[in-house]
Amino acid sequence: MDETVAEFIKRTILKIPMNELITILKAWDFLSENQLQTINFRQRKESLVQHLVRLCEEKHASLNDAALLDIIYTQFHQHQKIWDVFQMSKGPVTVSFRETEENAVWIRIAWGTQYTKPNQYKPTYVVYYSQTPYAFTSSSRLRRNAPLLGQALTVASKHHQIVKMDLRSRYLDSLKAIVFKQYNQIFETHNSTTPLQERNLGLDINMDSRIIHENIAEKERVQQITQETFGDYPQPRLEFAQYKLETKFKSDLNGSILAEREEPLRCLIKFSSPHLLEALKSLAPAGIADAPLSPLLTCIPNKRMNYFKIRDK
Amino acid sequence: MDSYDASESTPRQSTSLRPEDYFIGATFLQKRLESVRKQTSFIPTPPRRKIPHCSQLQEDVDPQKVAFLLHKQWTLYSLTPLYKFSYSNLKEYSRLLNAFIVAEKQKGLAVEVGEDFNVKVIFSTVLGIKGTQRDPEAFLVQILSKSQLPSENREGKVLWTGWFCCIFGDSLLETVSEDFTCLPLFLANGAESNTAIIGTWFQKTFDCYFSPLAINAFNLSWMAAMWTACKMDHYVATTEFLWSVPCSPQSLDISYAIHPEDAKAIWDSVHKTPGEVTQEEVDLFMDCLYSHFHRHFKIHLSATRLVRVSTSVASAHTDGKIKILCHKYLIGVLAHLTELAIFQIE
Repeated sequence: MDETVAEFIKRTILKIPMNELITILKAWDFLSENQLQTINFRQRKESLVQHLVRLCEEKHASLNDAALLDIIYTQFHQHQKIWDVFQMSKGPVTVSFRETEENAVWIRIAWGTQYTKPNQYKPTYVVYYSQTPYAFTSSSRLRRNAPLLGQALTVASKHHQIVKMDLRSRYLDSLKAIVFKQYNQIFETHNSTTPLQERNLGLDINMDSRIIHENIAEKERVQQITQETFGDYPQPRLEFAQYKLETKFKSDLNGSILAEREEPLRCLIKFSSPHLLEALKSLAPAGIADAPLSPLLTCIPNKRMNYFKIRDK
Repeated sequence: MDSYDASESTPRQSTSLRPEDYFIGATFLQKRLESVRKQTSFIPTPPRRKIPHCSQLQEDVDPQKVAFLLHKQWTLYSLTPLYKFSYSNLKEYSRLLNAFIVAEKQKGLAVEVGEDFNVKVIFSTVLGIKGTQRDPEAFLVQILSKSQLPSENREGKVLWTGWFCCIFGDSLLETVSEDFTCLPLFLANGAESNTAIIGTWFQKTFDCYFSPLAINAFNLSWMAAMWTACKMDHYVATTEFLWSVPCSPQSLDISYAIHPEDAKAIWDSVHKTPGEVTQEEVDLFMDCLYSHFHRHFKIHLSATRLVRVSTSVASAHTDGKIKILCHKYLIGVLAHLTELAIFQIE
């Protein structure tokens, strides 16, 4: 018998009051009549328990057996737990499937309730890649179905838990590329608006005549760092990134500003663009940002997130 | 007329205010006009503005009438003085404008699908929307839909509202003769086509000129600082800024929302002169926001374009759109806008 099972049985039996012991053990129906007759009730409880554990060991008690004992104990001591009430109903649901070539299953779910037929105009879509633990769902307006959907997906795909990632976008292809870490390969996008020659962010005089005065060496440094950070490939397409900041104010301007303040500043910052990563990539070469750009921004595809909560360490 | 672009950076000198300046409400414009009139050489001074406060005349304000001015988006225009406008002729103006609107719509010049020709125009004055007694009375023009059914003779839905006001307009009032009424700030809410028709009628009737009032980044920063400086019992909205980044080929917008208490904390930390806001303080306030942002993202917000600021007092967009949220500071916000309007007229 496993150490942990032995320990579990021991602790369960220790909880049982002496006057209930026989009743509960009989209800458990695991130890034989003969074994039960060997119990000496005039012992101290610790010795008694050790004896019982040895008896269980003789019978090779498993984890399931121990769990059953726990159930019986709880049934006898129901009031030790606080109980919530749930009402279930059989809501009708329309579910449709369509498989595509890349091992993707498109699932359409129209939700109904006890009283209404499924609403075909507000379905939820799930795209599940059967070879992976990932599913992409279209944001459902009917929020209350989200947990149910999560459970169904988990069970159907033979997983145990489902967690919503902090990643959201209109462009399913880009999300796939980020999640499956395929973005650093050249991939097809439907609306690729960056023609090849524009990716070479060299001295584009049309961009801004103010750049003329900058040091050439510095410009080259910026180009190189940008290249290293973002790579040579088209960026996956996201429309926004959101940062919830709770960080203290530390100024390099004037040390006295908010110097005594312990509390952080509560900020919410949102970057929006038709093509966010391409826009961020162009910031340092344009002189609007330093190079290297902040890791908070460059980590987006790598960390597979575009929603962040940042706190001081 | 010499042109001075307020968006240029001004050298930081400190000057002391003369007592007369303080009582008039010394603003940048005031000093400039005075010096021009006295024909002294103009030395640019850092602008100072009084922190908006409740107007002494606010007791006259009809709270019901003022309430509907809040929580609405208004498009801003500057308006040159009206020639031979009279407050005793408002009924006549209603009739004339009504006829004009109907005529214009029948000409097919206003293309608004499904619009009802049955409209009613009302001119009315709004008491208490002024800074000093010298300011002319503010007035309101409304277009209401008129019900087709004779039984329902009540006033219909308000389709369009425009109001004309002048808050602390002394600098303009002093320059015009008795025949003119100065109401340099015009705010409109409703269909653009209606604004155009109303504008045309006023221009023809009173020989005046409307001009859209854009608000540049410099003035938006001032508004953000002034409105953050206002004392509030409780905040109804977060403090938020919106920048537009001039990068290509993709556009990028950056929205930066900060808890209003934290914004106030930053302001209180940079604010030195009680009762007044100085250029230096505005710059420092914005620099704090820029530097906090830069620390995290390595992006220089100062190199981008501020297009919108939003606080619990009011929100303003660079395209000349404003929404006032706080009754207490209505006059203060309008005073600032009047100043910008007067500046544009000159």
